[in-house]
Amino acid sequence: MGSVAGVAPPDNAHRKGVKPLRAGQGHSFLLRKLHSLTGIVPIGAFLIEHIISNLEIVHGPVAYAKQVLFLNSLPLVRVLEWAFIFIPLLFHAGYGVFIAVRGRSNVNVYPLAGNWMYVMQRVSGIIALLYIIQHLWFQRFSGVSLPEHPGLAYWKVQYELSNPWMVAVYVIGMVATCFHFSYGIWLFCAKWGITPGDDARRKLGYATTAFGVILCGLGLWSIAAIVSAPMVPAVEVIPAPADDSAPAVVPTYQVPTVQQYDSNGQPIPQSAVPQQYAPQPQQ
Amino acid sequence: MATTPRIIVVGGGLAGLSAVMKIAEAGGKVDLFSIVPVKRSHSVCAQGGINAAKNLKGEGDNVDKHFDDTVYGGDFLANQTPVKNMTAQGPAIIDLLDRMGVPFNRTPEGLLDFRRFGGTLYHRTAFAGATTGQQLLYALDEQVRRYESEGKVTKYEGWEFLSAVIDSTGVCRGICAMDLRTMEVRTFPADAIIICTGGNGAIFGKSTNSVVCTGSAQSALYQQGAYYSNGEFIQVHPTAIPGEDKLRLMSESARGEGGRVWVPRKKGDPRPAKTIPEADRYYFLEEKYPKYGNLVPRDIATREIHKIVYEQDLGIDGQPMVYLDVSHIDRATLEKKIEGILEIYEKFVGEDPHEVPMKIFPGVHYTMGGLWVDFNQQTNIPGIFAAGEADYSIHGANRLGANSLLSCIYGGFVAGPQAMTYAKNLPAQTGDGGHAAEKVRQMEYNNILLQNQGTENPFKLWRELGDTMTRHATIVRYNAGLKEADAKIVELLERYRNINLTDKSQWANTSFAFSRQLYNMLQLARVIVQGAEKRDESRGAHYKPDFPDRNDEQFLKSTMAAYDAKSDAPVITYEEVDTQWIKPRPRVYTSS
Amino acid sequence: MAKKSAHVEKPKPYTGSTFKVSIKRQASPDAPAHTEEFTLPYRSGLNITSVLVDIAANPINATGATTTAIAYDSNCLEEICGSCAMLINGKARMACSALVDALLHENGKGEITLAPLSKFPVVRDLAVDRSVLFENLKAVKAWVPIDGTYDLGAGPKQFPQIQEERYPLSNCISCTICMEVCPQFNDSTNFVGAATIAQARLFNLDPSGAVLKEDRLRALAGDGGVQECGYAQNCVQACPKQLPLTEAISDMGRDVAIQQVKDFFTR
Ligand SMILES: Cc1cc2nc3c(=O)[nH]c(=O)nc-3n(C[C@H](O)[C@H](O)[C@H](O)COP(=O)(O)OP(=O)(O)OC[C@H]3O[C@@H](n4cnc5c(N)ncnc54)[C@H](O)[C@@H]3O)c2cc1C
Ligand code: HEM
Ligand code: HEM
Ligand code: SF4
Ligand code: F3S
Ligand code: FES
Repeated sequence: MGSVAGVAPPDNAHRKGVKPLRAGQGHSFLLRKLHSLTGIVPIGAFLIEHIISNLEIVHGPVAYAKQVLFLNSLPLVRVLEWAFIFIPLLFHAGYGVFIAVRGRSNVNVYPLAGNWMYVMQRVSGIIALLYIIQHLWFQRFSGVSLPEHPGLAYWKVQYELSNPWMVAVYVIGMVATCFHFSYGIWLFCAKWGITPGDDARRKLGYATTAFGVILCGLGLWSIAAIVSAPMVPAVEVIPAPADDSAPAVVPTYQVPTVQQYDSNGQPIPQSAVPQQYAPQPQQ
Repeated sequence: MATTPRIIVVGGGLAGLSAVMKIAEAGGKVDLFSIVPVKRSHSVCAQGGINAAKNLKGEGDNVDKHFDDTVYGGDFLANQTPVKNMTAQGPAIIDLLDRMGVPFNRTPEGLLDFRRFGGTLYHRTAFAGATTGQQLLYALDEQVRRYESEGKVTKYEGWEFLSAVIDSTGVCRGICAMDLRTMEVRTFPADAIIICTGGNGAIFGKSTNSVVCTGSAQSALYQQGAYYSNGEFIQVHPTAIPGEDKLRLMSESARGEGGRVWVPRKKGDPRPAKTIPEADRYYFLEEKYPKYGNLVPRDIATREIHKIVYEQDLGIDGQPMVYLDVSHIDRATLEKKIEGILEIYEKFVGEDPHEVPMKIFPGVHYTMGGLWVDFNQQTNIPGIFAAGEADYSIHGANRLGANSLLSCIYGGFVAGPQAMTYAKNLPAQTGDGGHAAEKVRQMEYNNILLQNQGTENPFKLWRELGDTMTRHATIVRYNAGLKEADAKIVELLERYRNINLTDKSQWANTSFAFSRQLYNMLQLARVIVQGAEKRDESRGAHYKPDFPDRNDEQFLKSTMAAYDAKSDAPVITYEEVDTQWIKPRPRVYTSS
Repeated sequence: MAKKSAHVEKPKPYTGSTFKVSIKRQASPDAPAHTEEFTLPYRSGLNITSVLVDIAANPINATGATTTAIAYDSNCLEEICGSCAMLINGKARMACSALVDALLHENGKGEITLAPLSKFPVVRDLAVDRSVLFENLKAVKAWVPIDGTYDLGAGPKQFPQIQEERYPLSNCISCTICMEVCPQFNDSTNFVGAATIAQARLFNLDPSGAVLKEDRLRALAGDGGVQECGYAQNCVQACPKQLPLTEAISDMGRDVAIQQVKDFFTR
């Protein structure tokens, strides 16, 4: 016809509310999958390792010291630590917080099991974050440096846990992290399509619950062990390694002279009388 | 003449979307108007299936038999040529739908599965679970969305068609429509328009139809000079679930899969249905129609149920209800084939039809009549086409189950290309083609309606209309009642002038939009009632006990209603029916 | 097909002669919202849509003042067109299948509250704009790209097993309830929502629709794509048509990831 101008189509540009999918654009997929992966592979794997390592606590200060020494004497341990623990953790935590704040939880209206888990995953993530910050500060970046003085690991932890509040913090941190990790495995499988069916997801749910309970039990066991053990004095039970590149050989002999530290981790000047280390009876 | 014809399609049900697809495919530009988002059109409600004689069950079915069943089922009132064309295209249409990804049920070999429906002896109905209409509508909607993303189709969802723009030579040049959010009234130019606005169940108050099935658009066009044909033919579905706001359909597929209709033999039998022994159950359809059994055509089943309840007084607990029983069929079969419709019953009634028989009663269901169209789907106004339930073709005096979806797609497939051809040969309009004048006319109407200081509530008027129409113009009709109904409608039209809108706002004013539709419903109701009154015979869905026989001599004719502005009433004339292919014969389903 | 037929509890009859409905109203998208109460005569067998028609026929609120009819979307009244989703007693559901008898017992107060869906822009009263779903369906090319509508003979054979996997997904009525109830669906994530993911799956399963499979998978990896799902599983619980949504999300999550890896190495 041509004589009449075409009519403008309805205008959708100024839409309020949720925007349509940006098909194929942006990088959030990659970031989200990295978040997911980091949760499992370096961090989750580390958590398992860490909890099992900490179980050495049960065998007393020397055993624990050996374990800490062993870990710290792995080749390129500082590089490994940053590459496989701190950076992934930083990313997972940072992006995790970003994810968590963008969700709009509604369990108050829809108190359904899956929805609760969704909220708990976020809450436990945040708890884990707070726990890890304080944990790293007190155990890794302040006080006596355990990589340099692995022999003091038991004492350092026990000293920290001599404060009942800290025990509570550790227990909560442990429960939250283990929950977060075990449900995280379930989530991972659901989202990556490893368990597409309802049945598969239910069965995996049993498995990850059992896994989480066991993991958490082991963690709590070491906490209980160190809290209930008699206080050890602040003496190094094994010598500090000379430097980072020290061979991963754990000496079998204990040096009788040990450096003592005060509660702030400051070395106490050596007394004239040499002190003897008396091993604690094992539980 | 511009190179790209611009066509407006009004209505985004199956008929509208089919037309849009054909036009977009042929390179035309389409503006698609719909009150509701097209995916929410009434076509989505269809449950049972769609017919096509593919003969995949080795029963010797073919398109000629489908043709014959349709004409015979429609009591010979349908023009036969379009029916012949439609049934011939049936198999290709099913194939097309299949290719579009409609999840039709399958045989173990991976072929299309077919079920039996009313009015035929063949397994001729393809189905996708119990949501065939939804699946078809979505499939077409998806195709149209694809064209939309390619810029060939522009959708105007949430716009209501008010009237056609007709130039001084009587040629349609576009439409006048209203945005239901901003209430803005605007005209849109087009070389041709296709009306696919569905049925008019809302005229009867409660029906199995959707809320927007008011027939308002058809009525507006009728008032602008289009013929409205066979208005009196309204199908009342035998099995609907009585409800507060609507009658929810219990699809014929419940009977197709072996559902049985019965009442207790003893009047007012107090026993729970399940405990009533076979001998005390009256399977009245099976006894009277041994060959078709529960699958007799709808008009017959409806009248039999009506008789059982009102003449023999055998309704359950004395209520207007009979049993529709599928509880003898094993769960697995039900789940696979008709789970969807059983869920509807369970959801809305709160009883499990796997366990207890359903209680059902007939409900207004389908509009056989509609805008008069020629064999190219064009109305008597040049440039206005119509398709789907909105037109009068194909089904004659009674529609067979699962034929409607087919007729909608067929109608759209004819109307689309025909409108293109028409548009290509259309001489340019002179002046503005009547756009400005039409817009002024509609705005004035709106202003009057909004400013009216009356006392009548439009929704109450509508309820009265519904009651009147249901009482006098459905299953059984008497001339006295029809006259009474017509007088009542005139009274309602009078009271309409005294309407008062409590809501005078200019934003998403639903009661205002409804009031506009109500006026059109009232006008169309008169067409139905007067057509019925004048047709002194019984044919298909139209049944008068005072004239129990079909009268071919006098009434083998299409009713043609034209609006007379002076008397503000329909003028009814008749047109010969095209019976060139099949000689009319008596329609009996009792014997073989 | 999994048997999940909604278990319907037969509501006990309500004993009052009237009941209260309070409705969150808003005259236009920018107008302030307020709550209006209605006291209505009780009948058994009412559903929410019939309550709204009753109000339209007699627009008098609880204080006796004349008011306007409530704006809301509805069409089929049998839970198939997907129009009438709203918050009923705080929860997202379909107004036409929400039975008053059951609702009156639900909060123990003999009262019903209605509000518009909270995640979509309000048009007026209970009517909201849900066109984002349709935009999303466009974005994932939720269609089968057929060659043409002319007669090209029968479609490809499809075994009933495939049909049975596709059919439940094809039952989506575009009501957007799965989006409303999803904690991840909001204007900071712009998550696409479960329905669109399920529809992409539906078309990927179709023998001919699979032609666009890779396009759909790439689309779903965009911002707001399948990765935004936090598996809260509200969607699958709330969906009135019981679509296997979480299953579809899992399947698509896998397929999208695989596609991304493939693309990384080949594009
Ligand atoms: C419950 C039920 C079950 C059925 N089951 C079957 C079945 O199994 N098999 C079968 O073959 N048939 C069945 N039918 C019949 C069939 O569904 C309808 O006849 C068919 O869907 C009508 O399609 P349509 O395209 O003509 O119109 P509709 O689908 O009704 O679409 C009408 C369109 O027009 C629009 N519209 C209306 N008025 C206006 C206006 N003024 N301005 C702008 N737009 C407007 C609407 O928004 C809508 O998009 C059933 C019907 C019902 C009620
Ligand atoms: C039983 C409870 C725990 C004990 C006794 C414990 C003890 C310790 C100690 C002693 C260190 C310092 C080791 C070193 O510097 O070499 C450490 C480091 C660390 N802990 Fe724990 N921890 C516990 C639980 C946890 C938990 C639940 C997490 C959470 C993931 C966690 C995360 C870390 C991290 C990330 C480091 C730093 C690792 C590194 O330096 O390589 N710990 N922990
Ligand atoms: C330090 C703070 C942490 C925060 C804020 C955090 C946050 C989150 C959040 C919000 C999720 C959910 C993502 C989603 O649902 O889409 C998540 C998932 C996960 N997290 Fe963490 N997390 C933290 C620490 C950890 C730790 C210590 C571990 C391992 C022990 C871990 C392992 C996982 C795993 C395995 C997942 C599932 C991955 C997936 O969603 O696919 N997270 N985290
Ligand atoms: S998936 Fe379910 S909840 Fe979501 S839109 Fe479809 S029908 Fe509604
Ligand atoms: S509720 Fe939302 S977070 Fe995922 S599982 Fe469903 S889409
Ligand atoms: S009105 Fe159609 S779903 Fe409720």
